[in-house]
Amino acid sequence: MKFVSHLDMNRFMIRTVRKAKLPIWYTEGFNPHPYITFALPLSLGFQSSYEIMDIRLTDDNYDINGICEKLNAVCPEYIEFFDACEPILKTRAVAFAHYNITFDDNKKILSLFLEFLNKESITVSKKTKKGDIKQFDILPKIKDLDIKEKNGNTHLSLTLPAGSTDNVNPELLITAFYEQTNTDYYCYSVERDLILDENLKPFR
Amino acid sequence: MGDKRLEQLLLTVQKPGRYSGGEINSVIKDKSAVDVRFAFCFPDTYEVGMSHLGMKILYSLFNEREDIWCERVFAPWIDFEKVMRENNIPLFALESRDSIKDFDFIGFTLQYELSYTNVINMLDLAKLPLKASERHSISPIVVAGGPCTCNAEPLADFVDIFFLGEGEQSDLEVIDLYKKFKANGGTKEQFLYEASKIEGVYVPSLYDISYNIDGTVKSITAKGDAPKTIRKRIETDLDNTYYPDKFVVPYIEIVHDRAVQEIFRGCIRGCRFCQAGYIYRPVREKSADTVNRQAKAICESTGYDEISLSSLSTSDYTEIEPMLEEMLSWTEKQGVSLSLPSLRIDNFSPELLQKINHVKKSGLTFAPEAGTQRLRDVINKNITEEEILNTCKTAFEGGYTAVKLYFMMGLPTETDEDIKGIADLAQKIVDTYYALPSKPKGKAVNVSISVSNFVPKPFTPFQFHPQITREEIIRKQQYLKECIKSRKITFNYHENKTSFLEGVFARGDRKLGEVLVSAFKKGCRFDGWDECFDLEKWLCAFSECGINPEFYANRERSYEEILPWEHLDYGVTKKFLICQNELAKKGETTPNCRQKCASCGANIFGKGVCFEKR
Repeated sequence: MKFVSHLDMNRFMIRTVRKAKLPIWYTEGFNPHPYITFALPLSLGFQSSYEIMDIRLTDDNYDINGICEKLNAVCPEYIEFFDACEPILKTRAVAFAHYNITFDDNKKILSLFLEFLNKESITVSKKTKKGDIKQFDILPKIKDLDIKEKNGNTHLSLTLPAGSTDNVNPELLITAFYEQTNTDYYCYSVERDLILDENLKPFR
Repeated sequence: MGDKRLEQLLLTVQKPGRYSGGEINSVIKDKSAVDVRFAFCFPDTYEVGMSHLGMKILYSLFNEREDIWCERVFAPWIDFEKVMRENNIPLFALESRDSIKDFDFIGFTLQYELSYTNVINMLDLAKLPLKASERHSISPIVVAGGPCTCNAEPLADFVDIFFLGEGEQSDLEVIDLYKKFKANGGTKEQFLYEASKIEGVYVPSLYDISYNIDGTVKSITAKGDAPKTIRKRIETDLDNTYYPDKFVVPYIEIVHDRAVQEIFRGCIRGCRFCQAGYIYRPVREKSADTVNRQAKAICESTGYDEISLSSLSTSDYTEIEPMLEEMLSWTEKQGVSLSLPSLRIDNFSPELLQKINHVKKSGLTFAPEAGTQRLRDVINKNITEEEILNTCKTAFEGGYTAVKLYFMMGLPTETDEDIKGIADLAQKIVDTYYALPSKPKGKAVNVSISVSNFVPKPFTPFQFHPQITREEIIRKQQYLKECIKSRKITFNYHENKTSFLEGVFARGDRKLGEVLVSAFKKGCRFDGWDECFDLEKWLCAFSECGINPEFYANRERSYEEILPWEHLDYGVTKKFLICQNELAKKGETTPNCRQKCASCGANIFGKGVCFEKR
């Protein structure tokens, strides 16, 4: 699924909800379409084990407990719905996300990365929506940082700001690491495993 | 190459979803548990290939069999080809990511001539010798099907087997024969020889072609007792022909991102420029019940909210209105919108328009093909100006304000009068709109005219005609531009260079194989894509091989000339095509198959419209 972009994911979910025969609410515009929205779009290339999706049904008394089962029945095994509930928070309440990054390196970069993270500051470059390049220090943005060896590889986990006000992509840190340390390139994978609110509580 | 490295590389190219596989309804099997692995290759991008119905049918048909695993392969786009070559990644199938070099069959579908360099490139990326004669082992066998196999002589050196006509049966028969050979041992030559006895199977290496001094074909000789002529294969009963109940549903957006329901094959019309109208004869319909049942199943298994009916001329379906009625009874409830491409002007009734109005409103598109009645009679497009204007009037009254019209230029007997006729017709449509008392207030009309360049194709009455030169195309396009006075008319036209190359390969012979290799080596790929096409490279390749492309594109053929496809039998006889060409010259039309049989020869298949009660 990591090659599925956010927009493709949306279209996939529309088809899935249709296949599950949920009484989905259609927008009432010129070109009606089912109403589906994700709390926090996932970057192309990332995997995720914690996603939040809002859908709106036409029937207020619809049995909410049966929804996951219906959706799972029409989904491939690599996509699983695990809970459905009435909306609690608005999507703008998303504030952070937690990521696990695994380098396939036989722990060759473990110490280099630790050293890199010990610097006073790490300047990263981010492209803004207007197309300009913005530079900032990523270190103060990082929370709950952990780096260790796991199954012989280097394993990094961290929390970064996410959502509509401030969003920091973990790729920025990895790119900066490779660019600033001249380390040999190792394959890595990024998984997002939590979406959090401003109190670092799981968003739902 | 590990999966992880490949995945990392995929993230460096455009639309990695083209190469990642894993879509809903794609088929994964245990490779140790199958006897035959088939790489179904579409020589264009994923988005184009995944939109193709024939591939969906054969993919599912093959995979229904436990002993066959059919996987999909598409031409990598330029960026990924570069990555593949730099990292030594061989062409792989999407499902297993295994290199297709080790498959039993590599099958190409040939939908248009401008995909031929992609076929060569894909064989090269698979790290196989390009020429069939240099691949000695029994596997992989390179096969090809699709409309272009009615004259795929330019690819004859590279392909082991061509399938003529519809492949549902002949493909499986060849696979079964192969299984026998694989089990009992046997050479590739023996296998091909046996395969040539299956109806619809053409083994090009079993035919010697000799040429006259002027470059035309002198003789086509079958080796040994290989059949002298090879007849195409068709399905005779579409209600009992396999149709998939599942389509692979891509994650990325493709060209036709919707369910497709085939309603009939062939076309009754006999427009004289149209290859599909002749090579798919005779017309065979599915019953309305079958159409509904199959369409429902597809919508349910895919979740698509749009279904398109597929045929060469949708409104010629005999029971179109009851069929639509039945379809609308469930599509509306399920929020599925229905689209009907390929409608003809003359039988486009207000009731039908009303019915399409029930669902999503898209633009109206018509294809008068020629600007004057005289020329429409020449090409046997049996519609009148009055019908065109009336239909537009009905459409405008129904609330449409945009009409798109398709035309061709460079048709046989065409004069500047006919070109001007295109502009005049468009103007009359604009005038019809403004003459309408009930026209929507404050809305302007837009008549868009798309003019493509006529390319003479094999197995049509116009197969004898020269294609007009590139200079003449440019002059006519310029002239038409000058004839258009109204700003309500939008004029789109087609690049002359690609049409010329298409013209060369459509009626090409085996001598062009060398040119293909040379052009491929110069970097020609995706010739149907404007951003890739480079005529200079092609002209260079022609001259290196000592071949004059105009000999193929711009030369008139006599009726006596042996055409490169003369040994192929599509039912329709050469005598009939000659007779149609003579009628065309006189501007006389031929009634459609349902009005009167024109004795084209397609009744030899013993089924279809030829045997309907009239």
